[in-house]
Amino acid sequence: MHSRFFLLILIIAGLVVAFVPLSFRPIAPQERTFRIGARQFAYSPSELKVNPGDKVTIQLVSTDVVHGLYIDGYDISIEADPGQTAALNFFADKPGSFRFRCNVTCGAMHPFMIGKLTVGSNQWLYRSIGLSIIAAISLFFIRSTRPSDRQLPITIY
Amino acid sequence: MKRLELLSRILITLAIVGAVGTPLYFWSRTPLIHARIAENGGWTPDVIRANVGEPLHLKLTSDDVVHGFAVGQMDMQSVDVLPGKVTDLTLIFDKPGIYTFYCTRWCGLNHWRMRGTIEVGGSSSDTQPASAPLYVTLKINIDAPHNAPTIPVQKPSALRGQSFSTQLPITNSTNYYRANSPYQVFDELSNTSLTETERWDVAAYLWQSNTTAESLANGQRLYAQNCAACHGENGAGDGVFADDLTALGATLQRSMTGDNKMTMQTPADFTDPKRMMGASPALLQGKILRGGMGTGMPMWGSIFTEEQIWDLIAYLYSFQFEYQK
Repeated sequence: MHSRFFLLILIIAGLVVAFVPLSFRPIAPQERTFRIGARQFAYSPSELKVNPGDKVTIQLVSTDVVHGLYIDGYDISIEADPGQTAALNFFADKPGSFRFRCNVTCGAMHPFMIGKLTVGSNQWLYRSIGLSIIAAISLFFIRSTRPSDRQLPITIY
Repeated sequence: MKRLELLSRILITLAIVGAVGTPLYFWSRTPLIHARIAENGGWTPDVIRANVGEPLHLKLTSDDVVHGFAVGQMDMQSVDVLPGKVTDLTLIFDKPGIYTFYCTRWCGLNHWRMRGTIEVGGSSSDTQPASAPLYVTLKINIDAPHNAPTIPVQKPSALRGQSFSTQLPITNSTNYYRANSPYQVFDELSNTSLTETERWDVAAYLWQSNTTAESLANGQRLYAQNCAACHGENGAGDGVFADDLTALGATLQRSMTGDNKMTMQTPADFTDPKRMMGASPALLQGKILRGGMGTGMPMWGSIFTEEQIWDLIAYLYSFQFEYQK
């Protein structure tokens, strides 16, 4: 009986950690403007952080050859010649971390010209940490129960 | 029967080889032009020969970054030359002469050095001699300093200037506008009853009435594509290459002494009223046509048409004057 009870508690705890929304006060969407300098073969800044729902403007300034900027997941891109600043407007409506990369061949190291756009905090990092703690606890409890019960929590977590 | 079959087999084989091979043969005979950044050699080959009226087929590819291809003073859409891809292009020239082709996508500090020539042979019935540019007929020394002694206190407004322009001793002709600087207009109005601000406003009105919204838009487009990388998107001489040019100038000055001693100047600042109020359109035309001036300013004479240069000049003055929309 005891082991069943613990199992139920662990399952509920796991579900809570996995699915309860983390931020209780929603962050008001803002307008954010980033000015990204592009040169062979790097962006500066190369990491952008925004909140979900923000209206984002990326100004791409190229300082040597023609560069582009393509954001994975959002599937949008711009191209900037030196002297012609290009602007990209979009709503950050998809949370997560996305790679952005140069989509105009700009020389030998072109494939390595990348950056990162982070929309919202990385919730799944914290959730997976929580889940692994629960899994560790469950292993600790199941030690003292019958062998037949031992397999079940492990297959779940 | 056997002979006939053999003959038909040979015929079919020849037809297939001919149908596939002939276009391939002509395609392979079309010269493939490689584009590299100027530091690595620019265009190879950089001299192309053609004949008047005959289509010139070109294949273009890039060996490093994105380049573009266009022929100067020709009404054509520029094409992009991409690494790893071959762009086909057909040109027809209706006048003999030496044309300049150039790179249209910025590919570094020496982008403007990526130029080559197309030598078009043949004869033409149209033998119109080229006329000397205005700065030559007016005998303007485009290398001399031309700063205006006084500058406007506030941005001159064409709208305000319009109301004073009816009872003026000066003519509002294109020739007058092209030959005089705004300061000369200001100076010429000094014996009228107008205040200094009003005299600058009249100059702004004169400048606006000698251009159109269409010309300004065309000038703006040309400026963004060809000038902004050094002169800055807002005309302040602070383009993305301005720092590189300064650094380059510093090293050149160190290595050159004696007769070769030179001073490298930074890109002109079009938001500086002293410079712009003292410059006539004819002077600016000379600078754009010839380039040089001890700076990295390219020569645009073989690339822009006369009309394009006047549009560009009209746009340059819009950094100084308040034009009504």
